[in-house]
Amino acid sequence: MKYATSKDQIGRRVPANPLPMCGISAISRRILITARCLALFAMAAFSAGCGHPSRTGTTEIVYWTGWSGHEFEVQQRLIDEFNRTHPGIHVHMLSQFGTSGYQKVRIAFAGGATPDVMSTVWADELAGYAMRGVLTPLDDYLRKSGRNVDREFTPGVARMLQVDGHVYGLAVTTNTNFIAYNKQIFADAGLNPDWPPRTIAELDAAAQACTKYDAQGNFIRYGFRPGGLNLWAYVFGGQWYDPVSRRVTANDPHNVAALEWMASYRKKYDIQRMEAFQTTFGSDETPSGPFFVGKVAMWSTGEWAQEFIRRYAPRLRWGWFALPAPPNGRRNCTTAGGSVFVIPAACRHKKEAWEFLNWISSPHAVKAFCLGIGNVPPLISVGKDPAFQRDPLFRFAIAIAQGRNSFGPPPIPIWPTYSREIARVEQAAMLGGEDPKRLLDDLQVRMSRELRRTLADLGR
Amino acid sequence: MKGKEQRRNLGYGLLFAAPWFIGFAVFTAYPIAASLYYSFCSYDAIRPPRWVGFQNYHRMFVEDPLFWKSLWNTLYMVGVGLPVSLAASLGIALLLNRKLRGIAFYRTLYYLPSITPVVAASIIWLWLLNPEIGLVNIVLRWMGVAHPPAWLTDPAWAKPGLILMSLWGAGGSMVIYLAGLQDVPEALYEAAALDGAGKWAQFRHVTLPMLSPVILFNLIMGLIGSFQYFTQAYVMTNGGPQDATTFYALHLFNQAFLDFKMGYASAMAWVLFVIALTCALVVFRTSARWVYYAGEAR
Repeated sequence: MKYATSKDQIGRRVPANPLPMCGISAISRRILITARCLALFAMAAFSAGCGHPSRTGTTEIVYWTGWSGHEFEVQQRLIDEFNRTHPGIHVHMLSQFGTSGYQKVRIAFAGGATPDVMSTVWADELAGYAMRGVLTPLDDYLRKSGRNVDREFTPGVARMLQVDGHVYGLAVTTNTNFIAYNKQIFADAGLNPDWPPRTIAELDAAAQACTKYDAQGNFIRYGFRPGGLNLWAYVFGGQWYDPVSRRVTANDPHNVAALEWMASYRKKYDIQRMEAFQTTFGSDETPSGPFFVGKVAMWSTGEWAQEFIRRYAPRLRWGWFALPAPPNGRRNCTTAGGSVFVIPAACRHKKEAWEFLNWISSPHAVKAFCLGIGNVPPLISVGKDPAFQRDPLFRFAIAIAQGRNSFGPPPIPIWPTYSREIARVEQAAMLGGEDPKRLLDDLQVRMSRELRRTLADLGR
Repeated sequence: MKGKEQRRNLGYGLLFAAPWFIGFAVFTAYPIAASLYYSFCSYDAIRPPRWVGFQNYHRMFVEDPLFWKSLWNTLYMVGVGLPVSLAASLGIALLLNRKLRGIAFYRTLYYLPSITPVVAASIIWLWLLNPEIGLVNIVLRWMGVAHPPAWLTDPAWAKPGLILMSLWGAGGSMVIYLAGLQDVPEALYEAAALDGAGKWAQFRHVTLPMLSPVILFNLIMGLIGSFQYFTQAYVMTNGGPQDATTFYALHLFNQAFLDFKMGYASAMAWVLFVIALTCALVVFRTSARWVYYAGEAR
């Protein structure tokens, strides 16, 4: 990479073949005519690219989806159903897959070239977009359609969809965090496989019991490694932003306690060796993922794990338990998030866009989608549906999602930056051994300043 | 008469140069000028830029610890990585500058890695540098190193790991050195040998001076490349562990395209430009003292 340019330079070392100057006037006319034709052709091609082709009597709306692969296909079936049952509207779904897809959204907003509906917005980004005025508030549409977000959605999701008292997006999925554990390893380690940890102390003890080393002190297997400070702060009773006082609360004592507990694993285990051990297996959700091959006893994951285990480790004896909490912490805690459906402010077919959004977020469509991709439904009524309730894992996950300890991203425009900084702080404490209190105090100062500045920028 | 013809030719010349000229103005000159303006603005790409004076620069130098860390990381690649890879490619070029049977084959062999796409090479090296099962550490253990470095998972070894990888791609500058070496007149070596110069003296007093313009070229290109070091870190480590590989360009990219602080990113770009320009100027100014152009009086 470093020397990529040098190859061009070699080329330049070769003396250029000096072309004889030919009489311009002789050939110029023909060239000019050709050039003019080409220009016209290019312009015609360009203008044809803009604007949506529309059938007579049918409004075409363009929808950007963030789902891909198998999940895209499940959604495509729903889109087909919508198009079949709504003759006046044709939804044209485009996949904007991956990080670049979500980045493209920002560029589209900047250029005013947004589609009519999109789900390529993370819940993390919703407040930022809403406060920049590029989203359509949905309150009026919801009211006219007789809908109520607070009543229909789980509390965590309902909070996450609102910014300054207005609804800016709707969700069709949510997730529940829990810990999956390997019952065989529990039994081997002398633990009761039907009695998973319920407190932090029990979790620590189980983690210790399940960890095994070889003669040189290298890991053969480890019990548990805490990750995700954002989530564990809530488990420990903390929060990242106080919506009442409108202040950043990065150094909330509970957050500090959570990080101190996580960093205790650094002291108990040789974290460098643990890191090195982790590089020997695939990432969590691949066939060689550590949980599937029995190299880790407890895995911090979510309801989607069931599908992966079914596929990659069908013979694994496993169970699950809610994140254990310290005595004054929050039991049955989870974060909420994921993709959110929005209608950009620049949308030209708002009525039709809402009709589609209203339908795709209806119990019928949400049930089909969540069943199809194995996610927790964010609609309370759908969660109570027997289709989900007869599956013990979903029964468990839905109860947590619908509980009061489900936390979506705070409604502040800096959350994408803030959450990345939280991850950096976690790394600095876990790997770098830096002091949790000092790290979070520093984060408090920086994020308060960031929030103040961004709100001022946005004229608030 | 002559004037009219000249004017017409000028017109045609400008006409034919126009596509490039328009392209340059729209896609190069304007963005550069705009980025200078944005560097004094708060700009999130959605709302119009708002003038904030030197706030971005103040933030960079006073409030953003990652700015200094990323600058240090980049300077490490310039100060350590670049000399190492310049020396390595010169060494390989010297080895391959012999009249041996099948030398073309070896030259090709050493050049080959540098045509591998960076992303593909990065993915392969991710495995080669794996602390437990990577080939590099397997060889090190075999050579008797009991605890080989954890490379990309250890903040202290991540940058050396990336430098090691860059040596694998040294073929690009090696070829340029090789071309330079072939240009050194045989007569000079003969004359030096007659004067009693040994191999080292010949290298020191004939090869190096004759090669110095090529070294200067590779140094400048390497300098620019090192300041822009991005792809490998983006693909392999995404800045980790603990920001040990958050290079300047990566930090800038994240500010622009993750946080959408276009104003801040523009300011960072200008500061990098000034730093790189200063380094290049210093190298150029001092080069008169060590670069020798044949036919030039000293």
